[in-house]
Amino acid sequence: MTPPTRDPGLQPERTALAWQRTVLAVVIGAILLAVAGLRAGQPVLAACAGVLAVATLVPAVLRPPSGGLPRDGRLRSWGFLVRVASLVGTLGLLGAASALVRLL
Amino acid sequence: MTSEGEAPGDAAPRDPAASLPDDRRPRSVYGVGEEPDIRFSLANERTALAWVRTGLGLVAGGVALTSFASFADLTGFVDLIAAVACLAGAGFAGYALLSWKRVERAIRRGEPLPSPNGLPVLVAGVVVLALLVAGYAVTEVWRR
Repeated sequence: MTPPTRDPGLQPERTALAWQRTVLAVVIGAILLAVAGLRAGQPVLAACAGVLAVATLVPAVLRPPSGGLPRDGRLRSWGFLVRVASLVGTLGLLGAASALVRLL
Repeated sequence: MTSEGEAPGDAAPRDPAASLPDDRRPRSVYGVGEEPDIRFSLANERTALAWVRTGLGLVAGGVALTSFASFADLTGFVDLIAAVACLAGAGFAGYALLSWKRVERAIRRGEPLPSPNGLPVLVAGVVVLALLVAGYAVTEVWRR
């Protein structure tokens, strides 16, 4: 289990791919909400969703949560997990707001 | 854990941080137990990400429902269902963090894993949402 050794179960690779598809899904969800907001005449909400898409994608590209094995063998997942979970939480609140605004 | 089963002279240059104190957050997780096999931590991380994506799926379903409702001029009931789905999705994203913490603590302590008690909630929620949408569709058919 030392970093240079390859894990035959490809666990680091699978974790990195899980991160990538999660980030991709959040970005697509945010863009979907932004487009829906524009079409429904909710420009503020659309702008918020667009900012959320950028805020998800840019850090993920600049410093990808590789899920790999760091040199000291210590994973630091918590910060990344908190970030992606709060982005999804914010997206959920924006979506609920978009639905509830139409009710008024 | 990286130094296990290795010659000390071999591990020393490769793991400069192995002897340093573990300063990772949250302390409620990394302050207890022993460092597990890293594959278990990676599997736990992927499980948490799968929960995040589950929540995201609910949010995306809600967004799709509300935009469809706005294009097709459906009643406010559909928007209400959409809002509930979005909020439930946000809730499951939060549950992903809680569950990650609980499981990681159990792994580090060598205890049995806690039961996935978000799962019945998820199943019940999806069933309720499906029933609400189905009920709405049936009443729409009747009104014609």
